[in-house]
Amino acid sequence: MTAATLAITDWSAVSPFGTGRDAFVKGVRQQQSTAVQLDRERWGGPDDVACLVPDFDVRTVLGKKGTRSMNRVTGLAVATSGDLLASADGLEVPRESTAFVLGTTVGSAQSTIDLTRGSLTGERPYHVESGLIPYAVMNGAAGQCAIWHGLRGPNATLSAGRPGGLVALNYARRLLLSGRAAAVLCGAAEEYSDARAWIDHHSRDDGAAGPVLGEGCALFSLTTQPELPPLAELLAVASGTFADGDREGAVARCVRRALAAGGAQAQQVWVACPSGAAGAEGDAEIAALNGLFGASRVGTPVAALIGETHAASASFELAALLSRAEDDASCAGRTAVITSVDPGGTAAAALLRLRPDR
Amino acid sequence: MAVISADTRDRIKRLVSDVLEVESDEMTDTSRFVEDHDADSMRLIEILSSLELNLKVTIPQSELPRMVNLSGVYDVVGEIRP
Repeated sequence: MTAATLAITDWSAVSPFGTGRDAFVKGVRQQQSTAVQLDRERWGGPDDVACLVPDFDVRTVLGKKGTRSMNRVTGLAVATSGDLLASADGLEVPRESTAFVLGTTVGSAQSTIDLTRGSLTGERPYHVESGLIPYAVMNGAAGQCAIWHGLRGPNATLSAGRPGGLVALNYARRLLLSGRAAAVLCGAAEEYSDARAWIDHHSRDDGAAGPVLGEGCALFSLTTQPELPPLAELLAVASGTFADGDREGAVARCVRRALAAGGAQAQQVWVACPSGAAGAEGDAEIAALNGLFGASRVGTPVAALIGETHAASASFELAALLSRAEDDASCAGRTAVITSVDPGGTAAAALLRLRPDR
Repeated sequence: MAVISADTRDRIKRLVSDVLEVESDEMTDTSRFVEDHDADSMRLIEILSSLELNLKVTIPQSELPRMVNLSGVYDVVGEIRP
């Protein structure tokens, strides 16, 4: 079987480690922890600490034009895609035919709530900040990235919770295999906000401590026609749902399906990377991977350093995997697995081949 | 034609220049939002809704074609809220 190669040629991240791929690689290499004490003047949520993108202010980073109403998640995505397009190793990106695919939870919970509150408390229901409307819908970030950078290919937003980054890879895979785009920028973004922090806080049992929240965006360039040897090749993505509470079984099923679709054997896998979900989900995910691969081949999630980044978590896990692969020549040609699971009942797994041509 | 106060004019100018992301001194009463300040249809709606929100008025969308510059906005608001 000689299917088209789905090459990951480059990536960038705006993360609690800082802006750009180099900052992320360095953060992973040095195992930097990024949690900071929150400034009470700026943040009014339930958290004392969070893993924020350092010094990230949308109008400071992107300028004052076109950013008046832009929310944080959009700013993170526009900045990340700008950084990726500026470097674009091995891919002379034809923007006219480049697609953009972004995983998210709900877009920006803060923008949605702000707009709704404005409508409920204003003099009239329609007396709202209309500039917020494009950002109060969940595809605001992906749309603005395309407008800002002139990406004219298909534009998709996938609301898939924590597995968002893996589901986005699958969508990119289909766009490329069906010839709908010559290249795809694909990944996921999540912002830190008071609204998100409160939602996370109230979604747990009273008093239960949650994970430290993180934020950021990671994006990857995918193409079927790489001009340079790719960083990795996407072999398969499998996703599924579970309604019976069997998280471990759902993760294991996704991994087995991805291995089968990619023609790979579990014993040949170099490393399996769990997403670092908190609580029962994370325990089940690690149990599934330990069962399939043995604990010695199960990686430590980058979430331990950059916090729970929800929709962006799987994309950051892929970024961390590619970071480790840069430093370890022994991975060349080997396969790796990334998994994710969401308390809402979804799971996913991606199978990749690292440094396939080196 | 109804005339609005200098205070209201200043306020309108600040609101409009904020939406258009230009400094107040870059705008004149007759500089045009679209041609001179790069506004698109979305920005024009934002101007209308910002005025409604902050001046507590309701402006019919049918007035949008007159709101091409500050002078036009002063006229429209003046007729609604003298």
